[in-house]
Amino acid sequence: MNILLLLKNEALKLVKKTRAWLGPILIFILIMVAFPLTIELTSNNLSDAFYPVLFISILLVMMLATEGIFLEDYEDGTLELFLISKKSLSQWVFLKIFMHWLLIGVPISLLGAFFNLGANNDLSSSLMIFPALLIATYIFLILFCFGNSLSLTKGSALGTLITLPLTLPILVILGKLNTAIIFNINYFEFLILIFGVLSIIIFAFPAIISRIIKTHLE
Amino acid sequence: MLREILIIVIKKFIHQFASPKTYFYQVNRLYPWLLYISISIYISAIIWGLFFTPKDFVQGHSYRIIYFHVPASFVAQSLYAAMAISSAVFLIWRVKLAAYLARSIAPVGAMVTFIALVSGSIWGIPTWGTWWEWDARITSTLILFIMYLGLISLHNSFNNFDKADKLFSYLAIIGFVQIPIIKKSVDWWSSLHQPASITISDKPSIDPSMLYPLFMAMIGFAGLVACIVILSSKVQIYIREKNKNWVKDYV
Repeated sequence: MNILLLLKNEALKLVKKTRAWLGPILIFILIMVAFPLTIELTSNNLSDAFYPVLFISILLVMMLATEGIFLEDYEDGTLELFLISKKSLSQWVFLKIFMHWLLIGVPISLLGAFFNLGANNDLSSSLMIFPALLIATYIFLILFCFGNSLSLTKGSALGTLITLPLTLPILVILGKLNTAIIFNINYFEFLILIFGVLSIIIFAFPAIISRIIKTHLE
Repeated sequence: MLREILIIVIKKFIHQFASPKTYFYQVNRLYPWLLYISISIYISAIIWGLFFTPKDFVQGHSYRIIYFHVPASFVAQSLYAAMAISSAVFLIWRVKLAAYLARSIAPVGAMVTFIALVSGSIWGIPTWGTWWEWDARITSTLILFIMYLGLISLHNSFNNFDKADKLFSYLAIIGFVQIPIIKKSVDWWSSLHQPASITISDKPSIDPSMLYPLFMAMIGFAGLVACIVILSSKVQIYIREKNKNWVKDYV
């Protein structure tokens, strides 16, 4: 019940802030709509460039989605209340990230698979890219949350600067996944690899982030 | 009984050496020795490597930049590992000297990584015909350089040293994940960069006439970088302990 209440609260807080919730999704749509305009209208070029643009735009949108994710809670005293009330801060961080993924990451993954259909005219590749996008959006969200927790009061630019290098190995795996989808080889190996990364950081990072937030509050 | 005595001796040694004051005076004594020995070893290695080793069958004389590039790359990664270990020591045992050391390694690490990137780029022209290639090893080393800069930026953005040290340590430990990726990048991805010539498990693929001066160059270069880390750590101690009487007396 407590967890459900926390989830509901986080969902309400996020939905109320249209800029934080709908903004990243709309920006993603705009990028994906705008990028074909910059390429010659030959379908080969479009499909070649599609996956790199998709992955980079997801990275940027997740960065925007986590901008100041803990700042409001820090400024209005929510985080201090958590600390005083002896409730698990890492559980709250986990739920907050999960809710962001549910409301931003999942729609963007769906849209990414939909745009893939438009760019490649291939349903099977869309079905293959969808789970990869679900996992990648969650990983990016967690990593950017980590960066934002480090630079809590110092602006999101610093958080981005220190987090982007950590996201690059994931981009490399996604690049390999792109090749795997195109040639239909080793797809599940790469999918399992990024799922493995997610399964580690999904539990480790909320604990680390909560330690970092406690450091800010000391 | 012996075990307990050993633990007490180790604890006493760590406790004493973990004091910035003891460290400061100990490295002051060590520094000139380390500097002169490292310079001698490195200059000997360079002379040996440049004038007394045969030229490479494929690369000709251009391979001789190996005596500069390889030590720099090796030390760049080792410094990050040292920084991550120091950070862990600080977070676990609250040894503040470890935090000073971690912070003092960051700018030196950035400098050495930059040297590795530039020397690699210069080597790339005669070997690959290009200054830069978006290859796994080179790109991951560039990421390491950015990582060092990010760590420095993070620490500099906080006035409270204790908070800055803790946040810096968290990031340094998490960022350590890059080091095995850089190390194994040439094996995991098909890359223009050659695979490692010297490994722990296999016989080196490099000829002994080139290998021995390379080992010497690595030791000498590491010693020189250690000297710079010592200087950098002394600066950190001056900044952090400026209100302590022993620093005032020393100055």
